[in-house]
Amino acid sequence: MLESRNIVKKFGSKAAVDGITVRFEPGHVYAMLGPNGSGKTTWMKMAAGLIKPTAGEMLFGGRPVDLESRKEIAYMSTEPYFYAWMTVKDVGKYYADFFPDFSYDRYLRLLERMELTEGLKTPELSSGMMAKLKIAVTLARDAKVWMLDEPFNGIDLLARDEIRRSILEFAADDRVLILSSHLVEEMEAIADRAVFIKEGRLAEEDDLEELRDSRGVSMADRYRAIYGRVEVEA
Amino acid sequence: MKNLIKYEFRKTLSVKLILLGTAALAQLAFMIGLWTGRERIYSLGAFILLLLAFVGVAVIGLTSVLILHRDMNTKQSYMLFMTPNSCYKILGAKVIENGISLLLATVFFFALGALDVSMLMAHEGRLADLWSLVTQFLEGIDSRITLDTETLMSFAFGLLASWFSTVTCAYLADVVSTALLKGKRWNGLGSFALFILLSALMNWALLRLTDGIASVRTVFLVQAGISIVFSAVMYVLTAQIMERKLSV
Amino acid sequence: MQYDPNSPIWLQVMTVLETDIVTGKRPPGDKLPGGRDLAIAFSINPNTAVRVYQELEKQGLCETRRGLGTFVTEDAERIAALRKELALRAVRQFSDRMRLLGISREGAVTLIREQEE
Repeated sequence: MLESRNIVKKFGSKAAVDGITVRFEPGHVYAMLGPNGSGKTTWMKMAAGLIKPTAGEMLFGGRPVDLESRKEIAYMSTEPYFYAWMTVKDVGKYYADFFPDFSYDRYLRLLERMELTEGLKTPELSSGMMAKLKIAVTLARDAKVWMLDEPFNGIDLLARDEIRRSILEFAADDRVLILSSHLVEEMEAIADRAVFIKEGRLAEEDDLEELRDSRGVSMADRYRAIYGRVEVEA
Repeated sequence: MKNLIKYEFRKTLSVKLILLGTAALAQLAFMIGLWTGRERIYSLGAFILLLLAFVGVAVIGLTSVLILHRDMNTKQSYMLFMTPNSCYKILGAKVIENGISLLLATVFFFALGALDVSMLMAHEGRLADLWSLVTQFLEGIDSRITLDTETLMSFAFGLLASWFSTVTCAYLADVVSTALLKGKRWNGLGSFALFILLSALMNWALLRLTDGIASVRTVFLVQAGISIVFSAVMYVLTAQIMERKLSV
Repeated sequence: MQYDPNSPIWLQVMTVLETDIVTGKRPPGDKLPGGRDLAIAFSINPNTAVRVYQELEKQGLCETRRGLGTFVTEDAERIAALRKELALRAVRQFSDRMRLLGISREGAVTLIREQEE
């Protein structure tokens, strides 16, 4: 459904993504893994159409990503990006104005679950609340592909459960969910596939249950093996 | 497109409210001064209003350029470029918002100025005599110069259009800086030079192409026309660069 | 629920359901949650949830009725057999552990008796 072919993005002379060929199929929840700076975010931004590749192709349904694909691919960035004048309600109205697949009712349900109210002003939100708001507004889109960059960052334990719950609620046979996180343990049970990115390249792709079934190996084990001495945060 | 324009107006709202608030205060001072016969107060009010008429229009243009810059260079860029809108529409909304705002500001200050001048004349009979003295004096110097309302309006319109084209030059320079020169050594200087060059080019065209036109009013109107065409060219060029090269 | 990330998650969830069936927490004929609900309740991938039901069905522990959902088997013999399987699994684990600790069969039996008193 979403694939990149030998895609490259250079910033100056440094390649942030250095020739990644990878394919994401509907019906799966993918964990996209790699330390900071490995190229995950740049890859996602190219899929979202925010960054133009230096070389290679990013395809959605076999066609290069464009304005049409933006209607079906929902991207949530790590950092907050709402305008400073916006309340939680304004954020929802903005999405409703621009994304045909956005449902305000679904947004309200998600807000309630995340314990947010429409009247809150976005600049006054704590980082945890902001993270929850980003998730709520992104998942309120009935997208074909969701790409959530670090959805568990800055979120307390209980809210993480709610986020997992919401993600699982919207995962479906005809949808793709891509979660990038360095909190590997958070994703062991909800993802069924893992894509490891290392230094701008695809290092490995695994079916997680297959990995556990045949080798008794966890995603965290593979992470340690691929990235060597890099610490895995709990 | 409608939604994009709506949000462009929302983004520039606070600046406009500040301008409007300041104008209201100055106008209030002007009227109170006039009614109570305190010359210092109403002349201060009138001075601030006059200043605001020029500064206000400049501020509206500058705000628009600053917002475009922020919309490309901060995380807020995702708000625009994540949506299924082409750069032609995204930039177009900005151009339209700015055009309308500049026009409204010009009309607003022009109308307010006309109102205040007539109020002042009604109040101080001597001023009306002074005014006709000034116009006669100017016409004496050059018969083409008349200070009638229509000429003043074409002047205001010409000024507005040329400021509008300056804003579109600034858009282009900023987009070149963000989309093409980012990370390059001479980025800041290069894009500023481009801006100066384009503005100079336009001003040269304004003078060169209106050379030999007899009526001042026609000069202003032709200049306005040239500015608008120039702005349109800037818009197309800028949107094209964004569409092809911009990464946020 | 906390999972052991090194062993298949479908197996861990399946064991929980098996235990529920044997203990009567999920009695014979009881309707089991749908695939998505199971995934949400256990915080597992939906494909893993599908696998859990596939395996349970293969083992004859539940049956899917078209359009109605998945139900716990009403076959009392099958449930009795499951009880024994689970008990055997526990014994196997226990004896593995005792062997590791160097405790003989008799020693282990004595320990159980002492514990019960």
